[in-house]
Amino acid sequence: MREKILRVLAFAAGVGILVFLLKFFNWLPLMVQTDSMRGYKDLEEARAALQIRTILVPSYFPHHLNWPPSRILAQRKPFSAVVMEFEKMGSKNTMLLISQSTSEDFLPEEKIKFAQVKENVAYSLKGREAFLRVGVCQRNEPCSGISWKEGESRIHVLAISTPFELIKIAESMLR
Amino acid sequence: MEFSAFLNSDPGSYIVQSFYHSAIAAAVIEIAIKVWGIRNPKVRQRLLLIVIIFPVFSFPVYQAINPQRSSVSFRLDALFDSSRWLDMELWGVVPIRYGFFLVLFLTAVIFFFQELVPILRHTYESKDLGIPGVRAEEHSLTAQVCKDLPVEEADIFVLQDDGVVLFSTTGRKGSIYLSSGLLHVLDREQVRAAVAHEFAHVMRSRRPLLVALFLFRVLMFFNPVVLMEFRRIVQEDEKICDDIAVSLTRNPNALADALRKLYLVEEEGTQGRTKTLRNEMESLELYSHRLNIESRITRLEKGIANAGDKGWFATVLAIVVVLVMNYFIV
Repeated sequence: MREKILRVLAFAAGVGILVFLLKFFNWLPLMVQTDSMRGYKDLEEARAALQIRTILVPSYFPHHLNWPPSRILAQRKPFSAVVMEFEKMGSKNTMLLISQSTSEDFLPEEKIKFAQVKENVAYSLKGREAFLRVGVCQRNEPCSGISWKEGESRIHVLAISTPFELIKIAESMLR
Repeated sequence: MEFSAFLNSDPGSYIVQSFYHSAIAAAVIEIAIKVWGIRNPKVRQRLLLIVIIFPVFSFPVYQAINPQRSSVSFRLDALFDSSRWLDMELWGVVPIRYGFFLVLFLTAVIFFFQELVPILRHTYESKDLGIPGVRAEEHSLTAQVCKDLPVEEADIFVLQDDGVVLFSTTGRKGSIYLSSGLLHVLDREQVRAAVAHEFAHVMRSRRPLLVALFLFRVLMFFNPVVLMEFRRIVQEDEKICDDIAVSLTRNPNALADALRKLYLVEEEGTQGRTKTLRNEMESLELYSHRLNIESRITRLEKGIANAGDKGWFATVLAIVVVLVMNYFIV
């Protein structure tokens, strides 16, 4: 029995070393390549670290959302991308997600994911050709999303809200 | 689609994650083998099977459990995020992912030419094998040697060839071929041991598990970890066949001597060849082959230590650790 316990402990120690090595090798690229995806405290820090000239931020902001963003993720390589998540006041639920990226395929929609898209229409957003999606999210809440091309970047705005409020937010990001 | 976007797509993630999952599984299995001092080839083979089978299913199963597993948020909190390495650029110019995919491509080429083509050729040639051989029952020496071996389920043929030839073919009824040259090199007991070893291969080739295992291995044709571990499984299979042969003949030393005579003596002619890349690679392969044969001989001469626990506790524990750890490897 004692031998069995010792072997289990030795196995646990071996696995522990493996976990440590994995954590180390997961951390190493962040040190070597400073412009890979990571979290930032605020937009200024992200802008300065990655030298991203323009980050679109809404000037209209619904009252029930917290400012500043609860999470800011950004990278410059392999392509430039910024993600901002906004939580509902007094809760930890993400209600608004804004992403801007030079990759067409980048869409980190895991926090606000459509369970069902009811309408998918073209929409003119201050002269930009945008696509508007309206539907319901996972907890059967109404949600909507809009995306358009701004210069080299693809902008996605997703919100757990009606399309009217979403459009107001999106329009406030443009001059 | 950009290359980096392909890596984040389902097929790209499957390829990348199956590689990392097999590498982690191989490391965990190695720890288990060392900690429990597992020497029984059957138990070792069972553990190594995890490295081949697990990565085939891991990605789709994990994605079914949590569809957000490949998301940016999950990756940021993961134990290991492969994209951090694959997106890195050497000297700010060459992305590491190109090197990574080059390794996978070379692995696929090695698999194709060193494993798949020889196996297909062997299967094709076995089907209409018209080798002119004398049946063992009609060959007095071989009939005498094999008379008390329970090898009725395979046909044994003696080929008129001065070279040393010994091989078996599988199929509905397996066949074992040995040459008259081999009968001059090995003594009676050694021939019995060699035939019993080949018979073990014929018997084992009928197990559906091995056919399924090869199919899993084919699915992982691009995976260098699976390539290496599959070769270890094959080596363990040789040891299992050694054990079966010994159980039939009750003479481990005869099999050890037969291995020595068949595989170690003839390699001596390779000394002092000109140094070319091809020769060096061949020498390396021969060296590794020699090490395997020597380890089998040592094992047979020391006595086979297969007693003790069947390794089920270590197997279950290793599977649990592999399952849990790999969930956080994206």
